[in-house]
Amino acid sequence: MGAKSLALSFQIKQECNVSRARAGLMKLPHYEVKTPVFMPVGTQGTMKGLLPDQLESLDCEIILGNTYHLGNRPGTDVLTKAGGLHNFMGWNRALLTDSGGFQMVSLLKLAEITEEGVKFKSPYDDSEIMLTPEKSIEIQNCIGADIIMQLDDVVQTTFQDYDRIKEATERTSRWLDRCLAAHQRPTEQSIFPIVQGLLNKDLREQSAKEHMTKDVNGFAIGGLSGGEAKDDFWPMVSLSTGILDKHRPRYLMGVGLAIDLVVCVALGVDMFDCVFPTRTARFGCALVANGQLNLKQKIYETDLDPLDKNCSCSTCKNYTRAYLHSIVTVETVACHLISVHNIAYQMNLMKNMRENIENGTFPQFVQNFVREYYDDCEYPTWVVESLSSVGINI
Amino acid sequence: MRFAIKQVSCGSERIGTLTGFFKSPSTVIETPTAALLTQGGSVSHLTAEVLSKVFTTPQLLWVPVSNSLQLEPGMRAQGQGVAKFCGLPEQLVCVTSHNMSEPTPPGHFELEKVPLWTKNGKKMVSAERYMDLMEVYKPEIILAIADGRTSLNEGYKRILKSLDRTCNMLDTCVYRYKASKKLKESALIGVVVATGMPKKSNESIKHVLTHKDTLTGVALAGVTDAYEESDILAAQKLGDIFKTVGDALPKDLLRVVEGCWNPAIIVAAIEHGWDLFDGSYPAKLSNAGHVLTLNFDPDRLSYEPCVLDLNDERYKEDFTPVLEGCECLTCKKHTRAYIRHLLNTREMLSSVLLSIHNLHHFDQLFRHARQHIAANTFQKYKKHITKQYEAYNLPHSANGVTDVKTDISMNGTEYMKKRLRVSDDEIPTSQVVNGSL
Repeated sequence: MGAKSLALSFQIKQECNVSRARAGLMKLPHYEVKTPVFMPVGTQGTMKGLLPDQLESLDCEIILGNTYHLGNRPGTDVLTKAGGLHNFMGWNRALLTDSGGFQMVSLLKLAEITEEGVKFKSPYDDSEIMLTPEKSIEIQNCIGADIIMQLDDVVQTTFQDYDRIKEATERTSRWLDRCLAAHQRPTEQSIFPIVQGLLNKDLREQSAKEHMTKDVNGFAIGGLSGGEAKDDFWPMVSLSTGILDKHRPRYLMGVGLAIDLVVCVALGVDMFDCVFPTRTARFGCALVANGQLNLKQKIYETDLDPLDKNCSCSTCKNYTRAYLHSIVTVETVACHLISVHNIAYQMNLMKNMRENIENGTFPQFVQNFVREYYDDCEYPTWVVESLSSVGINI
Repeated sequence: MRFAIKQVSCGSERIGTLTGFFKSPSTVIETPTAALLTQGGSVSHLTAEVLSKVFTTPQLLWVPVSNSLQLEPGMRAQGQGVAKFCGLPEQLVCVTSHNMSEPTPPGHFELEKVPLWTKNGKKMVSAERYMDLMEVYKPEIILAIADGRTSLNEGYKRILKSLDRTCNMLDTCVYRYKASKKLKESALIGVVVATGMPKKSNESIKHVLTHKDTLTGVALAGVTDAYEESDILAAQKLGDIFKTVGDALPKDLLRVVEGCWNPAIIVAAIEHGWDLFDGSYPAKLSNAGHVLTLNFDPDRLSYEPCVLDLNDERYKEDFTPVLEGCECLTCKKHTRAYIRHLLNTREMLSSVLLSIHNLHHFDQLFRHARQHIAANTFQKYKKHITKQYEAYNLPHSANGVTDVKTDISMNGTEYMKKRLRVSDDEIPTSQVVNGSL
């Protein structure tokens, strides 16, 4: 572990004495990241119209880039010559890249998965391309993110065929070994294995246990957040965090709704990513304590309040809902302003959770949060059940 | 607000100041200068936070009613004017009826009304309605509403109409302005039209000057309908117009030029004593993915083109800043290759980085112009800038400037649609809520 631990060291500062939540510090080559952390997604080497300086002001400590997109444009040649994505985009803090496998399955209907890798038609010139575990790591080594993902065999979460799920789960483990063997920069980048098994308890358990035997610095929990029922979702998160070693960080992929973040932190997750806050901003939706404001609605035409009175982001300091209403979905500035607020909202939520874990008040925080989030007091069963499974009663 | 001439050079070019702003008494804006073009009340693509990284002192914003009329209900509710409503309370504002650089359908005039092409379609605006709006916008400077969107090749009948309508509208604006308590702190600018026809142009000037005691300045219109190209011929003709109209105006009036003019034409206008320009040129460049890279030092020969098209493949691996030595945030932190990548992937940050550089650099054009006027070396500076433009236009001859114009004549909405069509990473909304892309 000696060399690899240079690329990541994880320190738990405080554990919640009721739930599985923990506050920690993840030291990465480019930045020390306080966990639990939300990582905004900057797909193509940029965060939807925001300057790196603005992301720093928002206290973003780690952001995500997409290997599939970056491998296509600007491409590995350019990224290598630029000295990696950090240099290319002018971002000095930590980065994480996915493996590219997810996009292939979600965006490309023609993908064909074999033991060798994922074969697909290039959307640019119709040529056939094979993304193998080795190729994914090669691209991610060029991009140079602090944390990189193994290539996994992705199956739609709601898929039901046991044999296919079993095959995907086992193949993911075999691909992990190939990824680890192909990794050229283990002192600068950490590969996270991805726990698979979709909604199958046994397969997920098998996957998590198998990954635990590997010499890695952290784990990702994949195959969730793909349209499955919440009642199916949280037990799989809980199962995974229950098996995974608590001294290494756990990353739940594709989760970013506020209530999901709170529940999953209570279940022991340390890292999250999601396109939701920035994407919903582009559609004119701002995140607030009890959900979302759709600024296109006429009721905001003369509403002179900021998006959120308790928010201290630059949008809430300078702008009213009425102004945002009048430019939303017309001016790019509206996107930027709402994105700033939505990222601030996510960052603020994570900060509150960290502080409450450190102060030993996390269970009370969760109770208050849920009460405010569901202002009609109708708490969904999954929220009540998941939280009570870790000792927090609503 | 007051305009005062500080220094007149050996020619007609001059340095002046705009001072006495009610909301920021200590602010001094030096002329010649350009305002910052706004869209929906925001400087194109820049939030207040980002704008403060480009300019640290209050700037003059150029606010066309045509692209900001949708703000009216909110502004009325708040009652503190357009700058405050748009999150830019320290900035100073000049309001005008149209964005002169945005082509609009011809015609559609009614007797005493001008069509404004807004985000919600055509709105017919009379001088009365315009002055009602001014009481809501509460700008530092009001450009009187006019029928001035006519090209230099416009027919005689159309010019007569334009002149007639503009005179009547100015009379109403002046009357309303004098009677309004709310507009005591605003300055009114009259608009000269029909400038392509010397005789009619003189009539227009004469009429504007009947209100001389009320007006702080005069704006030049009637030289473009935003469709035609500013080729070399037009540049010559424009130079003559700048001179004849300028010479016919009393020196103490602020002189304003509307329209998307390139730096060569701008220095020609400065030479004839024109003081204030709208900021549509850098905005158009940014929307097209172009950057302005003028060399401001007349003693240094320049072989680099003064406009670069960063969409070009040739910048793919160019890890140098847009302009070596430029002090803007874009040049200090980012490369041509990165901007090209952002343009290529249609990412919104491209427009932000391009706007930051182009606004900063365009501002430098005026800063250097003022220094040269002060040092009595403006002629040399003018030649230096003009030469770079001629060199830039030569290789693509006919379509040098045209290129830019056609590329970037999209209006805000189309542009936004293009930008929001977030290329490849878009997935169906059904997946958005839990999206794990």
